[in-house]
Amino acid sequence: MKLNIAYLYQEHLNLYGDTGNVEILKFRADARNISANVLNIGVNDKINSSFFKKINILFMGGGPDAGQKDIYKDLLKNKAPYIKDFIENDGVSLFICGSYQLLGNYYKAEDASVLEGARILDLYTEQPGKGVQRCIGNTVAKLNDTILNDPVFQNNNYIGDLIVGFENHGGRTFLSERSIPFAQVLKGYGNNGDDFFEGIHYHNSIGTYFHGPILAKNPHLADYLISKSLGLDKLEKLDDYLSTSAHNTALRLRQ
Amino acid sequence: MKLFILRNVTILIVKIIKLLKKGNGYTLPGYIILKLFPTILKDKTFSFKKGIVVVSGTNGKTTTTKLISDIFKANGLRVTHNSSGSNLLRGIATALVMDLDFWGRVKTDVAVLEVDEFALSQVLDFIDPRVLVLLNLSRDQLDRYGETDTILSRWIHSLEILSTKTTLILDSTQPILSVLKSIFKGPTESFNSFSPQGLSVKESFNIKNVNAALKVCSLYKISLSKCLETINKFEYAYGRGEELTYEGNTFKLYLAKNPASFNNNLEMLLEGAFKFDSLLFILNDGLPDGRDVSWIYDIDTQLLERMIVDNNITTSNIYISGTRCFDMATRLFYAGVPVPRSNINISIKDTLSGVSKSPSKTVVLPNYSAMLDFRSITLGRNIL
Repeated sequence: MKLNIAYLYQEHLNLYGDTGNVEILKFRADARNISANVLNIGVNDKINSSFFKKINILFMGGGPDAGQKDIYKDLLKNKAPYIKDFIENDGVSLFICGSYQLLGNYYKAEDASVLEGARILDLYTEQPGKGVQRCIGNTVAKLNDTILNDPVFQNNNYIGDLIVGFENHGGRTFLSERSIPFAQVLKGYGNNGDDFFEGIHYHNSIGTYFHGPILAKNPHLADYLISKSLGLDKLEKLDDYLSTSAHNTALRLRQ
Repeated sequence: MKLFILRNVTILIVKIIKLLKKGNGYTLPGYIILKLFPTILKDKTFSFKKGIVVVSGTNGKTTTTKLISDIFKANGLRVTHNSSGSNLLRGIATALVMDLDFWGRVKTDVAVLEVDEFALSQVLDFIDPRVLVLLNLSRDQLDRYGETDTILSRWIHSLEILSTKTTLILDSTQPILSVLKSIFKGPTESFNSFSPQGLSVKESFNIKNVNAALKVCSLYKISLSKCLETINKFEYAYGRGEELTYEGNTFKLYLAKNPASFNNNLEMLLEGAFKFDSLLFILNDGLPDGRDVSWIYDIDTQLLERMIVDNNITTSNIYISGTRCFDMATRLFYAGVPVPRSNINISIKDTLSGVSKSPSKTVVLPNYSAMLDFRSITLGRNIL
């Protein structure tokens, strides 16, 4: 069996060790004799719908402002329509921080200038303006019921209902009425520090502010993504003593 | 008179704070000094005959300032140096005032200051250096400093208003720094990574530090051969290749606090600088470290693997400690280095008793507060 991971804009969007998520997906697939293959897609690489037919998981990380500017045009013009198709046909994907913001409806910067988003995820992000603190710190959140009640998640879950991570973002994200959050914040700010929502869950795609990288200390989430993307009910259990211990340590960290 | 009182009151306050064990005592006096006399560090009565050398950048500050200071001293200059590692504005102000003589007069010829890269702009508002060395800029403690672009734009702003009497020294091999050259209107010099003849230092990242120091010393008219005399018997600052013995075992410390310094150390160990049989990683998330440990996923895992294989280190000889030891263990696990559970322990002390079963030579890769913890345990006292 094969797992094809499309990794978009690694060169421009990797600031907080998010690249570790791809390494972890590959490691956990390989450990089950599922041969994982990472396809790096940069600014000049062309993709189309036939490319996405063979992709199991799509990943994009977060990046510095400069990095996001570099990919912005290419993303909206050349890639967004195919990404939208992939997501709406239930393709599994994970978007962290900056890429999560870019796939929304718009991004309003500190100087009130508005940057059009890819309009794939129904949300918008606004910078609160100068002098307002960034959302920085350790995070804990409870996964949403759709995921918790999904047998594929339950079969692969040996840790519990929570996820842990670290957030570091200036923008505040607001979901539309129709959108479902990825998780409910128990510690930290989440999307905006107000509504206790963290991230978005749309079809089989997840957008989130969690770094860490998120899959490092949440092996249940990693296996959920792999299982889901391959249509498997359950993966062989791995020895996750270390990542579980790191998960439990993180539950006790102050914000 | 003003400086006489300031100097002695400062020393008194620092002593009291230290006695009360409320930290190293350098922050509060500096705050008061600058609040009362904001221009004091630019004052005529507070000037060093040979000026002030400021060194900043993400990695190599401590080593480079120590190199410069050692060379200066060996060549007859009296030096004020913030060697205790207080490299933020207030700590620097305190260190400068404390190093005045009893009567409040400057007693040294030159000051060599290591300055935190984020605090640099602020420090340059208060002092005019004769030489400013910018070593490098890479990712470090994002939760505290923000993105490297943020720091770079702060540097740019400072260089726009910096006195053109200052000489700027830059690393010519770092593309990210090239923009600074065009911004600063005063004289600019650069250094590179070529090893000067007659140098016994081998690690490539240290050659850059050496070259930066040589550049500074050449501005002070100290000959290359004189400089090399000092450099070739140089003793690294604490935690930078420092060797400690504890219960019959030898430990060599290499500070690994961000992806760049971590990779530098891996490269050096891969080059086979010396033999060792055990490895100890210590990862903390204390205040000076930044609380975000995700940077460990940006270290070069291929380099890590090659270093471990080339030095014949088995996973049973790898130990992990510190408040975030399980984060590090998970990281190594995903890099194909599964460290046994019994070698992982939050407590450094308990970990050491495991390492100490047989006489060994252990390389320790700690981040900042982990390095301090390790030293205070093995030396039995607090150093800073």
